[in-house]
Amino acid sequence: MSRHQAAITSDSEGSAARFHPAESHVEHAQNRPTATRPPHRARYGPERRTAYRDRRTGAREGGAVLRHVMRKAVGWLAMIVVATNATYVLASWFLDPRSNYLGTRPIRTEAEIDRALAPYNLDPRVPLVDRWWHWLRDVVLHFDWGKSPVGAPVNDEIGFRVLVSGQLVTAATLLSVLLGVALSVSTASRQYGWWDRFTQLVSVFLFNVPTAVAALGVVLVGIWLNQSLGLRFLYVAGEKSPTVEGLLPTLADRLQHLILPTLSLTLLGYVGYHLTQRTLLLDAIDSDYVRTARATGLTRAQAIRRHALRASLIPTATSLAFGIPAVFTGAVVTETVFGWNGMGQYFTQTIAKNDVHGAVAVAAFGAAMTAIGAVLADIAVVVLDPRVRVN
Amino acid sequence: MSITLAPAPERPAPGGGPAPVLSVRDLRITFPSEAGPVEAVRGVSFDVLPGRTLGIVGESGSGKSATAMGVMGLLPPTARMSGEVLLGGRDLVGLDDTRLSRVRGREIGMVFQDPLSALTPIFSVGRLLSDALRVHQSLSKQAAWERAVELLDLVGIPEPRRRARSFPHEFSGGMRQRVVIALAMANAPSVIVADEPTTALDVTVQAQILDVLRTAQAETGAGVVLITHDLGVVAGYADEVAVMYAGRIVERAGVDALFRRPTMPYTIGLLGAVPRPDAPQDRPLVPIGGEPPSLVALPTGCPFADRCPAVLDRCRTAEPEAVPVAGHGQVACLRAEEIADGRLRADALFPAPAGSTVDTGTTGEVVLRVSGLAKTFPVTKGAFLKRRTGTLHAVSDVEFDLRAGETLGLVGESGSGKTTTLLEVLRLRPPERGRIEVAGTDVAGPLPADRLRELRGAVQIVMQDPMGSLDPRLTVFQLLAEPLQAVGVDRPAVRARVAELLGLVGLDASVTERFPAALSGGQRQRVGIARALATRPRIVVLDEPVSALDVSVQAGVVNLLTRLKRELGLAYLVVAHDLAVMRHFADRIAVMYLGHVVESGSTEALFTDPRHPYTEALLSAIPVPDPRRERTRERIVLDGEQPSATDLPQGCVFVDRCPLYRRLTDDGLRERCRTQRPALGPAAPGSDHRHACHAR
Repeated sequence: MSRHQAAITSDSEGSAARFHPAESHVEHAQNRPTATRPPHRARYGPERRTAYRDRRTGAREGGAVLRHVMRKAVGWLAMIVVATNATYVLASWFLDPRSNYLGTRPIRTEAEIDRALAPYNLDPRVPLVDRWWHWLRDVVLHFDWGKSPVGAPVNDEIGFRVLVSGQLVTAATLLSVLLGVALSVSTASRQYGWWDRFTQLVSVFLFNVPTAVAALGVVLVGIWLNQSLGLRFLYVAGEKSPTVEGLLPTLADRLQHLILPTLSLTLLGYVGYHLTQRTLLLDAIDSDYVRTARATGLTRAQAIRRHALRASLIPTATSLAFGIPAVFTGAVVTETVFGWNGMGQYFTQTIAKNDVHGAVAVAAFGAAMTAIGAVLADIAVVVLDPRVRVN
Repeated sequence: MSITLAPAPERPAPGGGPAPVLSVRDLRITFPSEAGPVEAVRGVSFDVLPGRTLGIVGESGSGKSATAMGVMGLLPPTARMSGEVLLGGRDLVGLDDTRLSRVRGREIGMVFQDPLSALTPIFSVGRLLSDALRVHQSLSKQAAWERAVELLDLVGIPEPRRRARSFPHEFSGGMRQRVVIALAMANAPSVIVADEPTTALDVTVQAQILDVLRTAQAETGAGVVLITHDLGVVAGYADEVAVMYAGRIVERAGVDALFRRPTMPYTIGLLGAVPRPDAPQDRPLVPIGGEPPSLVALPTGCPFADRCPAVLDRCRTAEPEAVPVAGHGQVACLRAEEIADGRLRADALFPAPAGSTVDTGTTGEVVLRVSGLAKTFPVTKGAFLKRRTGTLHAVSDVEFDLRAGETLGLVGESGSGKTTTLLEVLRLRPPERGRIEVAGTDVAGPLPADRLRELRGAVQIVMQDPMGSLDPRLTVFQLLAEPLQAVGVDRPAVRARVAELLGLVGLDASVTERFPAALSGGQRQRVGIARALATRPRIVVLDEPVSALDVSVQAGVVNLLTRLKRELGLAYLVVAHDLAVMRHFADRIAVMYLGHVVESGSTEALFTDPRHPYTEALLSAIPVPDPRRERTRERIVLDGEQPSATDLPQGCVFVDRCPLYRRLTDDGLRERCRTQRPALGPAAPGSDHRHACHAR
């Protein structure tokens, strides 16, 4: 799943856990015959048993987990370094800042263009190795990620865009997960009931709506609401108003700007969580241990919440964590529709403008997000699945 | 059929007829399916008395598990149930989930079949137990935990205080089943329903678990409903037995009466088909012809009529009601009286098939010789960079000969290395250590390609699960033609050979165009056997060939294999965990423990005069389908379970569990048991019966 998501880039907005709902639905219908289940499931004799393993639990657990996470983190750090440097080489190879000057009048000579690029460490006459070394030294020593072909520092751009995207994506992701998991629990418990069918229909519909259409739909609804209420309550463009001052008014203003794009991202993002989590949960509900839990006196709903849900959340936690970078850089269309200057927008801009340093910084940011996501996923798995602590 | 049973004469109910704790009346359960409603349970009635055990036996699809789930209220929501389930006078049928949940766990506990999947993997067993207690009792977390530890102690978990913090995957199957029993008895229920509680376990562990179940029953005074397909388990445990067939109870009686004088022809057939560890080897297994009926749109009349040797025309017009038979119980058969008073002789109903006796005839040349065979697997740790942290000695020292016309059985608990040995033989590659000779050719030597292909054809396998081992998208013809095409047989010859093979295994030519899914379990296994025979092998390796089949069908397959061996001069190498089947099937047996052969010899010698203490314990653990013998015979119940093969003891591999070692007084001998690995030696000079024990 995670590899699949990593491949999703700007065209698939906020869909961290998308998959093909129609297929899995059919599979389920086939795999869940109610009456044809063989009563003698374990009649194959004792040969299918696992070996007896005697492992000790205890205080060592915590330290082991920390060491485990640290080891993983070091591995990811190495990955970030390799990925970023590889991106630098590739970007310098394919992005040619000189072409930015082709349309300018008066026509400049090649030497003039190169001279103009030289102060930003983009002069093509300097060997790639030297440019790379210069760039790397600046990054490592000064955390200076370089300048765009027109001299704007990359750090400035990234700094505020991370915050802008952060608000949008964090709120939308949290809402998507909450909504998706809540729906999955309520529908998996009553599989094939009207509520299950209805929510699945809605989810499949939303799954197929293009992002731009959905975003514009949300904008229209927002404008209609504003007009019918006679207020300017919901903003449809930008992340803030330029003239607001003071703490409380600023917060309120930000929130008003945030509502519609968050809604748009959530509507498209929850679908994946709903459908995957529903499938996982259905498998867990059918398992023997849920039946055991019910036999000890839990109602079906209690057994599902206490026993099935927690076990089935583990894959979702992993996919969520690995989905974070895709969401960060993937919200381009939504950012464009709502006029937000976020990371996704910057990502497309840097490529369009042959901004080598900007593109590399976005890639490094994505790698860092992946690493953070992976470590978070590890921690989430440890929290949800105590077996990992023992192993 | 709604009267309380007369208690078995040998063990009268305490206190003279207490009220039943559970009464089931006319229970009917229907599942929807694509082919139409499946009537899984059709009017079942029984009573369970406190402190006593009702055994429900039947084959797969007889409705016994559905009955258990119906009583517990754990049927899937699509199932329809009617009738009465009276628990302490209250009817549970029709209660909603919330009301039922107050009953489940407090008044009825349940033990499930597969302990490996029955416990929530993400909670410690202590947490699972204290949760189960706190559902019904207002206990503090601390108090519930203390009670959980007590319960674990009660069901025989060593070091319960420490083990309460362990997770299910850290326990072996037997230990997990103990935890499941602890869960079932936690709130002292008045009824415990045990659905095939020992089916997934080794025979030595099965004996332990049945003891634990007895403890639970004694502790809570609960009535037990024991559901199983194993007649031996029922004979040793139950007070009354109900035999189910096609969703109904066809015979119900006290355990002694039922086993001594079975009265319904199905019960008679079942008892004749079940292999017995105590029977002389030449007693043939008598299969019941045909297959159980489909439960969709059952024909009118007795569902057993098509397989019944005593069938009358009347049997096909209406389904017989269960009627009381004097001094017996209740029987649903029109001819019950005739059978009971001897006018219709029960033992003449199912005559032994002609020529099915095990021949002790001549055996030919040695076709497989294995000596000093060893196989290890690395034990690794870490997900990305695998570090080797140990070595699993799956097979350490195995030697045996197999002659043409002979069946050699490998027996032992899970993890003893039986299957690894089979796979090493099938691999036809140089073993890690030791020597394997197939038909006189050492497989280690560099073999020319055509000789290797010839050897591949000479060694074939029949697998355990006939469903999983046949490609569901190939027809029977294609399945049988495949091995022939692989060795380059031309098309007309393939056609002829497939027809011949079907005849050999007793399948009708009409099955050739069918897919495996359209065949019954017994037919599928016959296809599996025919496929193995296609290339005219000399050695057939059988990995649990009948363990997935029902008793009445299993007998037919065992007889078929015996006949084929005699007619084709085959040599069989068999792995089976069911020692009773082995007694009927194998000529010689090698007993394995932790990758070592600890005893080998002829089946007769091994069963009548076991030399190695492990063999003794293993044989003693097999339940005998005879209640009187089960109660009187002395039993050796081994402690613990087979340890992991990662660190083998320095001396005898069995020393940690050996009952003989504990009784030894000679310090020098004890020292040898601990430090020297005993070698296989003949029991008497020149005997083929060999064992590896210092003390015997």
